[in-house]
Amino acid sequence: MTEAAAEQARRDRVFLVVVDDSPERAVALRYAALRAAKSGGRVALLRVVEPVEQAEWAGIGAMMAQERLEEAESLLAGLAAQVKEITGGLPVLITREGKVADELLELLAEDPRISILVLATAADSKGPGPLVAALTGRLAAKMTIPMTVVPGTMSEAELDRVT
Amino acid sequence: MQVYLPIAAMSVDVLLLVGVGFGVGWLSGLFGVGGGFLLTPVLMLLGIPSTVAVASGANQTLGASVSGLMAQARRGNVDWQMGGVLVAGGLVGSVVGVQIFALLRRAGQVDAAVAIFYVVVLGSVGTLMVMESVRAIFRRRNARAHRLHNHTWAHGLPFKVRFRKSRLYISVIPPLGVGFLIGVLSAVMGVGGGFMLVPAMIYILGMPTAVVIGTSLFQVVCVTASVTFLQAIQVGGVDIVLTLLLLLGGVAGAQFGAAMGGKLRGEETRALLGLLVLSVAGSLLWDLWRVPATLFSVGPAW
Repeated sequence: MTEAAAEQARRDRVFLVVVDDSPERAVALRYAALRAAKSGGRVALLRVVEPVEQAEWAGIGAMMAQERLEEAESLLAGLAAQVKEITGGLPVLITREGKVADELLELLAEDPRISILVLATAADSKGPGPLVAALTGRLAAKMTIPMTVVPGTMSEAELDRVT
Repeated sequence: MQVYLPIAAMSVDVLLLVGVGFGVGWLSGLFGVGGGFLLTPVLMLLGIPSTVAVASGANQTLGASVSGLMAQARRGNVDWQMGGVLVAGGLVGSVVGVQIFALLRRAGQVDAAVAIFYVVVLGSVGTLMVMESVRAIFRRRNARAHRLHNHTWAHGLPFKVRFRKSRLYISVIPPLGVGFLIGVLSAVMGVGGGFMLVPAMIYILGMPTAVVIGTSLFQVVCVTASVTFLQAIQVGGVDIVLTLLLLLGGVAGAQFGAAMGGKLRGEETRALLGLLVLSVAGSLLWDLWRVPATLFSVGPAW
């Protein structure tokens, strides 16, 4: 591989961050953004919203689905601004409906541009969090890309040092 | 196998009751509804007195809603503050409703009154459900549900309170009124009232949909508990044998239905629910209409 092609590949790689409601998502997001800024690449943010449960009225079900999507989009837009501050470029925003692990694996199968998944572990001692546990355990064989697991306890200065 | 129900004062087949509990539990799990509005009329059609049927319906809804409330509360989807206001209205409503119920019973009109209530409410709810899903089947996703205008006369009312979780700053009078009406409905019909409470919370109070289901379950749990309690004390309508048999089938049915409900969704299911509601209303109407098998009945004078 020539030097130019290697440079191109580095710039095109995508760090995928799963946006959930945990406090450690900020650590994963910051790590991915710093990595992309310092060594080339882009950030993608995935937000998976829960599908609407059976409701008595179809109109209310449709309204719920719409409000959930809008909420996810505004959350991603806010995080995108944070990413842009670090990397200078806007991240790819993806919203999906369903179960987090299933949708994540499906997205990886559909989109070959995504090259690294960045997850952070929970800061408390109850275990690494459901997604990390599932992807390194039960679903480990289904992963198609490498995964970076960032300790959720790392501070901003520490993240700066290692990226 | 016949069993004697001490409060209802009649004999019913055990397997039939367990089967009814299972069927209603299954449907409520499948459609995500409380089930009281199915159980009460089915029990009435079986010939169980409406005092007992209403108390059992409220009790069944209570059981079906507790686990749902716990799941929603764990995910932080309950607005306890708004729920508290709704419950306050609902508790007053349930007391008033039980008084109305007792009054009707003293007048000897309770069976007919409850049946008429059901025919009217289920008839209109069922019609709306079928119409809505038929429209949706023909025009997939074209029609978006719109909120009504955002500023109404209700915003001019006094006693404004800030509801943080719902992101609302409104008077407490509309939620108190909504809670009260649902409480009356719950006491007279033995339903949770979720199918009317949820649209009222969205369209009248303007709550965000994310907290509507959890908050409505909070109101349903408190009000059906109050109704069951009041009915037991004041009307004496809670039959422990009947309740236990229904619960036996209901618990199993709800698990089974909830597992199936995940796969089954969409407009067709909702049309089925609407048709089911309509057919229950229709058979109650027929029951009111036809000439009874025994023209006269003898009972204690109240």
